[in-house]
Amino acid sequence: MSSAGPTRTSDSLADVVEMLLDKGIVINADIVVSVGQTELLGIELRAAIASFETAAEYGLQFPEGTDMRRVAAASGRDALPEEEEGPLAPVIDAAGGSEADSEEVSEADAEETNETGDDEADAEETTEAEDSDETSEATEATVEPEGDDADG
Amino acid sequence: MSAPAADPGTTVDDGRYLYCVVGVDDGESDADWSESNAVDGAEAYLVTADGIGAVVHRCERTPNPNDLSAVKRSLLRHQHVVDAAGDAFGTPLPLRFGTVVEGGDAAVREWLAETAATQRRHLDAFAGKWEYRIEVGWDEEALAEAVESSDDRLAELAETLGDSSEGTSFLVQKQYDKRLSDLVYAEREERVATLAERLDPLVEEMEELGRPAVSLEDDDGSDSGPSFRVAVLAPEENEIPIGDVLDEVEANPETTGVQYTGPWPPYTFAPSLGEGGSDDAGSGSGGRESEAGGR
Repeated sequence: MSSAGPTRTSDSLADVVEMLLDKGIVINADIVVSVGQTELLGIELRAAIASFETAAEYGLQFPEGTDMRRVAAASGRDALPEEEEGPLAPVIDAAGGSEADSEEVSEADAEETNETGDDEADAEETTEAEDSDETSEATEATVEPEGDDADG
Repeated sequence: MSAPAADPGTTVDDGRYLYCVVGVDDGESDADWSESNAVDGAEAYLVTADGIGAVVHRCERTPNPNDLSAVKRSLLRHQHVVDAAGDAFGTPLPLRFGTVVEGGDAAVREWLAETAATQRRHLDAFAGKWEYRIEVGWDEEALAEAVESSDDRLAELAETLGDSSEGTSFLVQKQYDKRLSDLVYAEREERVATLAERLDPLVEEMEELGRPAVSLEDDDGSDSGPSFRVAVLAPEENEIPIGDVLDEVEANPETTGVQYTGPWPPYTFAPSLGEGGSDDAGSGSGGRESEAGGR
């Protein structure tokens, strides 16, 4: 600062971004159709602005040690490979498995033929099958103990 | 969260992009002011009702955030228009970037009329005041040196350290480091408190801003040192006195940098319209009060 007054060099883009996207009045009225998706936009935009290409242009500097891969990923320039989610659809070895698990598997996977005559199991199976989360949980629970068995 | 949001770049029916609300003289008509070179190259103009006016431009689509360079340009143009409105009408109430309403000037006018009492009250409260942003950084090592030279306990530990065997010195060193980092932290706190105290009589409100969002969280403090980052709402005439205080801080050898920007419209201190306003907006086109803004 050379003088006592405030400055607005090159329109102080960093300030502008922060204020316009994070602050300012939000109208809550029926007539409003868009408030710009500002939260996501703000993250993307700030990351892009802060990226190496534009940092110098706007007088911004990164602290040393900044993980530029993350910056690049956040700005959508060169995204890091995303971790793939484990498949939700269970791959089940219906024949193998330990005792308790095989019952869960059959419930989840609607293998009623294995359980013929067991009314109770049929009833449970219907409820479980409705909840896909439980199904996948049951599957995971199945896979791990099997591995343990193999080790032991 | 609760703010309505259309898909980016969708077509809107007789849309109006809103910049800010300003106070206008009773005699002033819509045609008295305009600003070219607004967002998307449009021309911004004024829609007035009941002594207040909204700065708008006609738009057919909602903003599309996918093109970041275009958004950057839009942000600067948006600010350019709000600045021009502020020059012409005094401190404006700035709206969040990307606010688009449907229904043309008539809808804007109706909204203004419904909320006029509240908006007028806020405009009056902000009159002659602007937002300023202040950032002060300190050099951690310089702060450490400053406290090292003045603390007796540290001197004592340093002496013990010299006389100690290898095993003892490891523990003494730990004690020393702990004491030093506590002192540096306290020193920073004290400097912040002193600065805030000096600014207090000059500003009406102060809000801490936290770390700038451009730095990613995991590089916290590694190299940048401790800092003080606030937005203040202050009368225009205090601009220079605030700057004088900051100049003194900057002259301090432990200070790495001072940034002082403004005057800005009161973005940080902007009220939330539709929340808690008992004297307005109650009887309008309905359904607005329940959706208080996310922040």
